[in-house]
Amino acid sequence: MTISAGTTSAVAPQTGAPPAHLRVREHTIEIVSDSGEGAQKCGQIFAAVSAKMGNGIWTVEIIPAEVQPPPRVPEGASGNRIRVGAGPVTNWGDQTDLVVAFNEQALLARHRVGALAPDAILLIEEMWATSQDPAIVAAWEAAMEELSTREYRIIPVPMQEQCLTLVENPRKGKNMFALGMLAYIYDRDMERIRDQIATAFRKKSEAVYDSNVSLVNLGYQWAQEHIGFRIDVPPAPIDTPLVVMNGNEAIGMGAIAAGFELCAMYPITPATSVSHYLSEVFERFGGVVHQAEDEIAAAGVAIGASYAGKVALTITSGPGLALKTEFLGLAIMTETPLVVVDVQRGGPSTGLPTKVEQSDLLAALFGQPGDAPHVIVAPATIEECFHVMITARRIAETFRAVVMVLTDANLATGVAPYPRPTLDSQWQAAPIDLAPVGDSDLPYAWEEETGLSRRIVPGQPGGMFTLTGLSHDERSKVAYSSGIHQHSSAMRSRKLAVLQSVLTPPVVYGDEEGGDLLVVGWGSTKGAIEEAVDRVRADGLKVSSLHLRFLSPLEPGIKAILQRFTKVVAVEINYSDDPDAPYITEENRRRGQMAMLLRSSTLVDVDSWTRVPGEPLRPGSIVTAIRERVLSGGAA
Amino acid sequence: MLSDPRVAVALDALAQPIAEFRAAVEGALTQASGFLDAHHASPAIRASRAAFELGEFATGRIDAGRFATLFPPLGSGDPASLAMLDRAVQTLEAVNGEASDLFVTEVTEGRKLGATIDAALARAGQAFGAIVLAELIRAGRYDAATHDRLLDPAEFRTWNRAERRFAPPLVIVLRGADLHSGALTDFADGRAKLVLVVSGPCAPAPLARCITPGTFVMQTVDGAGLDQVASFDGPAIVAMVPEGCTTFTHDPRGGAEGWQRLSIGTNAVAPKAPIDGISVWQMAEDVRLLTDLARTPFSVPARDGTGTPAIGAEDAVDRVTQWLLGQTGLQDGA
Amino acid sequence: MSLSCELLHVIQRKGSDEPYGMDSYEGARARWCAGCGDHGILTAVQRLLAAEQLVPEQTVFVSGIGCSSRFPHYLKTYGFHGIHGRALPVSTGIKLHRPELSVFTVMGDGDCTSIGAAHWIHALRYNVDLTVMMLDNAIYGLTKKQTSPTTPQGTVSNTQPRGSYLPAMNPLSVSLGVTNASFVAQTAEWVPAHLYATLRAAYQHKGTSFVRILQRCPVFTPEIFASAVRDPSQIALLVHDDGVIVPEIEKIYKTQIHHDPRDLAAARHYAESDDRIHLGVFFRDPSRPRYEETRRTTPRTPTERNTRLEEEFDKYAV
Repeated sequence: MTISAGTTSAVAPQTGAPPAHLRVREHTIEIVSDSGEGAQKCGQIFAAVSAKMGNGIWTVEIIPAEVQPPPRVPEGASGNRIRVGAGPVTNWGDQTDLVVAFNEQALLARHRVGALAPDAILLIEEMWATSQDPAIVAAWEAAMEELSTREYRIIPVPMQEQCLTLVENPRKGKNMFALGMLAYIYDRDMERIRDQIATAFRKKSEAVYDSNVSLVNLGYQWAQEHIGFRIDVPPAPIDTPLVVMNGNEAIGMGAIAAGFELCAMYPITPATSVSHYLSEVFERFGGVVHQAEDEIAAAGVAIGASYAGKVALTITSGPGLALKTEFLGLAIMTETPLVVVDVQRGGPSTGLPTKVEQSDLLAALFGQPGDAPHVIVAPATIEECFHVMITARRIAETFRAVVMVLTDANLATGVAPYPRPTLDSQWQAAPIDLAPVGDSDLPYAWEEETGLSRRIVPGQPGGMFTLTGLSHDERSKVAYSSGIHQHSSAMRSRKLAVLQSVLTPPVVYGDEEGGDLLVVGWGSTKGAIEEAVDRVRADGLKVSSLHLRFLSPLEPGIKAILQRFTKVVAVEINYSDDPDAPYITEENRRRGQMAMLLRSSTLVDVDSWTRVPGEPLRPGSIVTAIRERVLSGGAA
Repeated sequence: MLSDPRVAVALDALAQPIAEFRAAVEGALTQASGFLDAHHASPAIRASRAAFELGEFATGRIDAGRFATLFPPLGSGDPASLAMLDRAVQTLEAVNGEASDLFVTEVTEGRKLGATIDAALARAGQAFGAIVLAELIRAGRYDAATHDRLLDPAEFRTWNRAERRFAPPLVIVLRGADLHSGALTDFADGRAKLVLVVSGPCAPAPLARCITPGTFVMQTVDGAGLDQVASFDGPAIVAMVPEGCTTFTHDPRGGAEGWQRLSIGTNAVAPKAPIDGISVWQMAEDVRLLTDLARTPFSVPARDGTGTPAIGAEDAVDRVTQWLLGQTGLQDGA
Repeated sequence: MSLSCELLHVIQRKGSDEPYGMDSYEGARARWCAGCGDHGILTAVQRLLAAEQLVPEQTVFVSGIGCSSRFPHYLKTYGFHGIHGRALPVSTGIKLHRPELSVFTVMGDGDCTSIGAAHWIHALRYNVDLTVMMLDNAIYGLTKKQTSPTTPQGTVSNTQPRGSYLPAMNPLSVSLGVTNASFVAQTAEWVPAHLYATLRAAYQHKGTSFVRILQRCPVFTPEIFASAVRDPSQIALLVHDDGVIVPEIEKIYKTQIHHDPRDLAAARHYAESDDRIHLGVFFRDPSRPRYEETRRTTPRTPTERNTRLEEEFDKYAV
């Protein structure tokens, strides 16, 4: 955290000295508590208000694995982490500069995972230090001991005591008190905070609103009287209207904007919140969220609806994608348009249900037995999560294809503002090419050159054919001769080449002409990779990056781009063997998934740097990796 | 009379079929005008259109110009067909632009109920013609000799089965004196939904004669039960009658027997004086017909739960019948 | 979209109101073995389609995998021949969004009660208006004689050569145990008049009508119902005005039980009784809610959708 370095030393002691104003380009804040104490609400409101004031923000949730973990245990830490910037913020950053913690165990958890900057400011509920329970006091003292190994600045706060002056049950009030403290420290607009509280608690009574506002005021006053510093992250003026949401909400809205009429799903983390959002609003748009009996049925219902001429979507995460595999093969074989969203999480098996990973790429691409060509796209930002749905639908229908959209838990739960989309009613139009079929029309009238054919939908006179998952000819007659399977396979495959022919080469971030190192990424890592590239370029390194959106077919011209750089490394959140690890050789090393894909399609010696920490990559760790690659001889 | 608050109640109850009809018209319009644009448009315009359709994610990633050439527009672009399609689009735009006027009509002085309904539905018939025409042209199968009359207003009696299934719902405002059930039965087909908003002196059970086993027929005063109309998958005729008229619901989903389908709320008395051309005898006959239909067979005892006779115990019906007949001065069996 | 399709249907037929004959629904030549019960079922279905005058392009047959699942190929209607055990989710997807289409689902016993068992149970519960035919020959035929859940215990097969280990599953009592199931019937391929009448009742029922069709496989289970075929007294007909009544077979099948299909307890009793094979409608309740009705939404035009989406964006606006 170069930018905020020096923060701590500049913080005035809690004496009567005039408050110090720190002006920084960015600051990262966490609010952590036991689950159920509302830290996330506090974080969300703080982030929304900051965005409204014109700051760039990126919010991530800190989620425990259980719904109700026992209180005061490090594994129970729950809350939000908000990176606030003077300009746009594209990723969650490196380490946290200021924490509000409702108990010392939650704080300890963040300390232990290395989330906190060495000089972080820690505002901690102090009631535990004087607890009647000696075990709690002992735990507090041990925690303070452990925390004292760093240069943290610890500020005890009597949250409980203060909240008790206003409410009977402070467990429900500390979050608003904390919000008030943050509002003072970061000089947030109180009017906007009140508006945001009204929005956040719109389903509750007016008394709830009043009580929350008084708690915020109390926190603000307390901070004003007891905290001797303020931190100024100057907002940038907003010249375009913005919306702020997480990636799953963006996908839900994108699905509505793109004219989807059905979202068939089965509950699975971290994909489900798309369905939560759509369940809330979809019926107002004439849409239906169908919660099927299982992942397989969800795919089947979506395929049935699509076959019947509707625009259908199914949404899942890795384990669900595995279950849907056979149905996806059927959609590909029958050339039934289908959009599948896979919000990736850690795997294999149940893996890390709530945590980010990018390890479904190859399963998404090659998971269906037999040759099953289909399209895969990966949005890189929350904004792209919205817009990708429109493109995905159009491609699915034009090419009669399965289009998989790969996002991940980082995009799903990350919250950031983006320009409010300008809607187009063309996006909503009924599926293309539903004109009546003639007597000579066939269900797979493949155009020899392109493999494209027109779709026939039940109800169209003259189109009474039976689509089948068996190998078939143009009339959908089951193929009993070898030539038919060869030809129909070629037709299905050619569609991908045709799609690739209309794609444009990706743009290099940095130096198009080439350089010492090219970092290749895909999906949610874009912000962190580009920030890392910026930092090392500022130090004079000849490093650029390339971020891919189309993963099947790959965008054209990639080989030529890769060849302009001395070294190429794919940076991903999936597992790869460390080249220096025992037994690992150049030959047996298992590389990251994008690296494998690029190596096979370009024959360029693409190196792999990947991590599976169960959290988004930090720009700082990518910087370190880049330096190693450029400065060292470079592992293969 | 169109300002009658009951019109809004009726339109509200018909929201679903109205929305279905409008969505169909607007959908057809989008496709037809898209087709026209595609044929008239230069490659550059087609490219910018494709760029719009592909959305922002595709900006800078998909060459919209090349994408647009992947699928040449369907059908023939011959000038005669395109000119006809242009007319079809105009018709659809006009129908689409008429908002709720399309779904409300009024029997004005000197007009007949049947003619009024016909005139209102003919407009919708024109939209059907336009939709078919657009599809034929898009499929390259338009034949001027066979299809040139498709854009003419089309009376309901000329509608085919499909058109009748998609008939738009209609709210008709009229005086009780203009309510002749004979004019209505012609329209009880497909999924036609007619809601009459009646004011002024009115026969007690004017819709009794509209009852056939497959038609949903209802008389209501306050609009209660109107919500059942939209969900019924067949023809429905409903009258929102003035206070004092009989209220009843004949729902074909109730069962095979008349008494299972028919439930009578309040049973009114036939007036002793004629209402314009409607005689006392006619009005009494309506009431009697209704009572007969609701008659529970003696062999079926009343029981709880499913299969309960619609209007309760047998003797009650008899009593009402006797009383009604007494009121009209007619002998039993006359 | 469905509107223009329906309207076009009439143009296509040039205004002709000539009724559809059974031949109007004939697809490819059936390739089942000679003597296979599927042939008779296909004929009964064609007879039903003609009797109901179903418009071919508004009729969809969905199937899974197995001998019986070739069904759609042999009809001239729309067809979707999917994957093993999964015909019901596809059917649900079609009917949910195109309620105006008549949707039939054809499955075999392994297809429905083994690999597709979850979908079977849930489809009954959704109660979408589908006509579901489970062609039960108590064996996997296409893959050459493997034990299925309905194979009688002790039957020798290629996977259980010392006789199948488990008692056969009873698809009727399973179906009758599912909450919201609305139509459960059983018929037999060798009683064509009853087969036809049952399918017709199933089609006319609004909701998921589950029909188990007992069927002989001439190659692998030719003897399975042999004694019942030879001896009609082993069969009892469930008769009722609300079920099926087939007067022309009453002389042969003399055991008739008056059974009100609303009586679930009696239905379960007959489903579980071993003394005879019961044919007829076991249970029928047209008042059960249908999922496609429950979930019906008002269609919105693109303009309306975008107006409402703008309102959504307002909630997230900065």
